[in-house]
Amino acid sequence: MSDHDQPDPDQPDAAAISDGGNAVPTRRRLLQLGAIGAGAVVSIRPALAQTAGSVMNCEIPVPDMGHAGGFIADDGSIVAAGTKGAYAPPGRPFKGEEVKRAMAGNQLPGTSYESNRAYMNYIRRLQRGQGGFTCFASLQMPRG
Amino acid sequence: MRYRAPEAAALISTDLAPFTALFDRRSGITHILASPAPEILAALTEPMTIDMLLAVLAREYDLADPDPAALAVRLDELVASGLVATT
Amino acid sequence: MRHALSIRIGPVGFRIGSDWRAPIDQLAALYRDYPVPDVADFTVRLFAARAWRRVIRPSVTIGGDYMLPDAAPLPLAHGLLAGEMAMNLQLALGYRRHLLLHASVVERDGRAIVMTGESGAGKSTLATLLASRGWRFMGDEFALLDPETGLVHAFPRLISLKNAGIAAAAAAWPDGRFGPSLPDTPKGDIRHLVPPAAAIARMDEPAMPALLLFPRHGVAADTRDVGASEAFVRLTQASTNYVALGEAGFRALTGLVRGVPARAIDYPDGDAAIAAVEALWAGL
Repeated sequence: MSDHDQPDPDQPDAAAISDGGNAVPTRRRLLQLGAIGAGAVVSIRPALAQTAGSVMNCEIPVPDMGHAGGFIADDGSIVAAGTKGAYAPPGRPFKGEEVKRAMAGNQLPGTSYESNRAYMNYIRRLQRGQGGFTCFASLQMPRG
Repeated sequence: MRYRAPEAAALISTDLAPFTALFDRRSGITHILASPAPEILAALTEPMTIDMLLAVLAREYDLADPDPAALAVRLDELVASGLVATT
Repeated sequence: MRHALSIRIGPVGFRIGSDWRAPIDQLAALYRDYPVPDVADFTVRLFAARAWRRVIRPSVTIGGDYMLPDAAPLPLAHGLLAGEMAMNLQLALGYRRHLLLHASVVERDGRAIVMTGESGAGKSTLATLLASRGWRFMGDEFALLDPETGLVHAFPRLISLKNAGIAAAAAAWPDGRFGPSLPDTPKGDIRHLVPPAAAIARMDEPAMPALLLFPRHGVAADTRDVGASEAFVRLTQASTNYVALGEAGFRALTGLVRGVPARAIDYPDGDAAIAAVEALWAGL
């Protein structure tokens, strides 16, 4: 069942153009194909976490429980504990508020410039199903 | 390559001027369309190539920019959203 | 669960179980005038993640029919807040009977104002102030929109006031029943206010939405029209179950934005807000 409420594209006759005795009615609506800016199609994809996250405080463990003890490389990937140049996991999970502030340009608590970058890269790479993903996803969507 | 719109029963369309809200029953996804996307969907009454579609639109509307390249970009957006299929 | 409480709020029944007595006692005191449900739609659990967490630096983990991973526990001193958040969570994740919108709602003459906005924009405080000026309070956290009828149903939970809103509400409701002060929660300083008696007595009376408002507190006064498509998109972002409701959600929300005018109001203080709302209402 369709609920199509589009206005009729055929306007009433706007004018009749005379061309040497031949009257041509112009009835067609103007249409532009290009240069829309952001595009002509926006898909609504509210994530579950976006609003459930706004009713919860949440935490993001680095790394998640399945990789407990792993070190974090500069690019956010998890490497074997003790790997040179990689960072030991922080002592506790980060709170959603702390990560939100870090996304705005501050540093995660207790980190150096380098370890902050490594942890943030790890967090940005989180996938659905990993611990901390729903918390991180909820930080990115506008609330309310 | 031809472009194909879904059959009418697959979509619920509601005017939220100046935009159109569309619910795709097949995917459960809601889309907001700005002109000329709704007009393009309506014109795809059967599978068409870009040139065929351009000709149909040119007959129905006064096209400010009857450019197949511009139409192709609009069609890419519709395909990416799942609303239009290619065959 | 050693301690338990059942409450009905509007169309939703909750059964709250807790490993500790204190949060249940606090909830029972504040919700004492609310009906008991025939059936609990949702179970809420306030529990200790480890047995020793019940006693040593006790911390409350929130759970129930629906759980959200990554949830951080709260200290027992904030157990009341944990109970409220847990009810929010169950509703947000599991409720399908109505379209849920993060919004406060007030009613007059059977017609409702639905006020939505970012957390902290002031929708709870605004609803509280309007309730002190003769409007019936229908809820400050969730608006329940019936996809079949378009009516909004009352869900008058304890009003969750934050930071500066607490003083504003205390001034508007000098005889109000407030919960304990909860300073330094993850959401700032919080205090709960029991809704006025009329709100509780009339919780089963729905209303027809007549005005959609996007309020913003603490800014120079301004009132603007909001187009139907912008209102629609903003409301999809304010809904926890729009996607889950599928076609019914689409019809409910498009019906709402097509049938009801939407306005954005910015206001520097409560009096300005009330004046703006009354002016808009008179002009409908």
